[in-house]
Amino acid sequence: MEGEDPQERPDYISSIINGLERYNPEAVGTLEDYLRAQCEQRYCDMNANRTLLKLSTNARYQLNPDRLKDEVITNILVKAMTCFPSPQFSLALHIIPPSILAPTSRGELPEAISKLRELDTQLQGAQYARFWATLDSDDLYADLVADIDGFEELIRIRTATLASHAFREIEISVLAEWLGLDEAAATKFVTETAGWKIEDGQVKVPRNAENEAKKAEVREDVNVEMFSRIVRRAWEETA
Amino acid sequence: MSAYDEDYDESLVQDLKEQTAFEDGMGEDLERVSSMTMAQQTDDIQSRLAAAAQPLDFSAPLAVKFESYDSYCNLFHFILNSDGPVDLEPPSYYWAWDVIDEFIYQFNSFSSYRMRLARQPRDNEEDRQILRENPNTWGCYSVLNVLYSLIQRSQISEQLGAMKRNEDPMTVAGEYGKKNLYRMLGYFSIIGLLRVHCLLGDFSLALKTLDDIELNKKAMFARVMAAHFTTYYYVGFSYMMMHRYADAIRMFSHILVYVSRTKNFQKNAQYDSITKKNDQMYALIAICVAFHPTRLDDTIHTALREKYGDQLLKLQRGGPESLPIYEELFKAACPKFISPVPPDFDNPEANVDPIDHHLAIFMDEVKTNMWSPTVKSYLRLYTTMDLKKLAGFLEVQPEELRSYLLVNKQRTKQLRWTDQSLLDGEWINVSDLDYAMQGDLIHISEAKVGRKLVDWYLRNLARTYN
Repeated sequence: MEGEDPQERPDYISSIINGLERYNPEAVGTLEDYLRAQCEQRYCDMNANRTLLKLSTNARYQLNPDRLKDEVITNILVKAMTCFPSPQFSLALHIIPPSILAPTSRGELPEAISKLRELDTQLQGAQYARFWATLDSDDLYADLVADIDGFEELIRIRTATLASHAFREIEISVLAEWLGLDEAAATKFVTETAGWKIEDGQVKVPRNAENEAKKAEVREDVNVEMFSRIVRRAWEETA
Repeated sequence: MSAYDEDYDESLVQDLKEQTAFEDGMGEDLERVSSMTMAQQTDDIQSRLAAAAQPLDFSAPLAVKFESYDSYCNLFHFILNSDGPVDLEPPSYYWAWDVIDEFIYQFNSFSSYRMRLARQPRDNEEDRQILRENPNTWGCYSVLNVLYSLIQRSQISEQLGAMKRNEDPMTVAGEYGKKNLYRMLGYFSIIGLLRVHCLLGDFSLALKTLDDIELNKKAMFARVMAAHFTTYYYVGFSYMMMHRYADAIRMFSHILVYVSRTKNFQKNAQYDSITKKNDQMYALIAICVAFHPTRLDDTIHTALREKYGDQLLKLQRGGPESLPIYEELFKAACPKFISPVPPDFDNPEANVDPIDHHLAIFMDEVKTNMWSPTVKSYLRLYTTMDLKKLAGFLEVQPEELRSYLLVNKQRTKQLRWTDQSLLDGEWINVSDLDYAMQGDLIHISEAKVGRKLVDWYLRNLARTYN
């Protein structure tokens, strides 16, 4: 799964999340530093981040509320969002205590989460143009994504990659809207970052396994093991 | 070597105990036990072992639920923290499963009751007061603590690892894990942990818990029908929540086929208790099939049409009319989720039923996908199609249709479990329908599915034996 177990993960993080240390409130500091590293170095370890999310949201209620930092929770959610369309964002939401997510709850954190949830829904629904419009619609969004280095570029790269899986050719005007760029900037992104050509306003996406849509025949794979039980039974019953 | 392991083991148990003691009051319970004399404990131990596996009446008064919690704490403390392994045989093969099952069931129903009272301020003031003052009784950290401790003590993960490598598990079982009592409790605690993580909404951790158990091999849990059944329900449900619908269908189908083929051999009581879960799994299959249309096993297909035929039809049509059906089926078939934190008795309206919480998040995904059935049903009719023309048929803007097409395309790529860890898998195209766009021209290809004969052949062959 996207953003789940990155190669960059150091051993001391593995030993926290794979052992009982994952329940130790003392691990919060280490995991927060690790989250900061992910934000700065543009990779994502949601397995570790969910451990942190549980420790810090449960701590809010059980240990000392002043330990909870809202930006830890929102940063984790923004990181999860950059892994679209994988279910990372919803997996993170599921472990946030229900009362924080409730439609009736007020306060800065519930409001921030519901804003991020709207953004994620647009990414999941491939409504990329709407995503950029929403992101621009409120200054709060800029604050929420401020800690995540290269947030906009990460989103653009994923969007372009996903588009390349579905399109052989796509109008530059359409792709520009999806990338949240004007046509000149989009042209630069497409030719320089993605390395694709543009002819007559059409972006030519190189062939890949996804955008071929080849005709295929699904045949049943038959192997000996499928029959092992019945053969054994025949053997046992005659013996 | 083994002495080192035990020390290490002991220190981990100690660690966990210390970590959780101050937040869940388990520490006090442990104190209380140590003040009892050992003689008292051994006298009544057999009856306590038997009692731990006995179902508690759902409507038992709160005081009884508190007592029951105390006696579980005492029993587990005795088993885990006596001087060396206790010399007891489990009363029966099913005992260890029954204990863990009942322990989690009581935790679950206690949590639901507490949540219900917290949400209804005028109900039962006396119980509310007791619950408010004891937020840590049946706390989720205590329950997790017990399960993890049993797993650690029995070295069950090490034992299963050895079995996987075809080595003798006894060489790594340690002083405790050699004994049936510990091995069985440890083993079923793994399944218990799968269940508790799922109840708390951590679906990937739930699946990760089963890393040591080989699902496709002859697993120990399969000998206890209820354990077998429960495992597949929670694994399937966790897969569904991770949007891995093909794997969810596979898990549900596997166990439902097994049940339908063995129901004549099952003892009646056992079979009755799984009937409800059986229906729930059909409801979940209906949801997953709507997301990911696939050919089902004949037995499953027939039963699904009988039980949920109307609902399935509506789900498969998609659109906003399908949403209430998703909600209805989800609510009827999901586990009774537990909130990871105790409710706030001073603000009844702040407490959200955890089922609504998980449902709401799941419905985001449902809404994202709700146009896929419609789009697919049109695409099947053509080999090429103009996007604007199709948008006209569907009465949506071309931009909307592009989004629908992208969503559907993205969801047909799914991780599919092979035989490694449950969280791993291969990325495959799970749909027989594929398409790619060239500007506004949609190229569509449909894979031809050859007849699947092996299953049919095996089933008919099996029939000749009977």
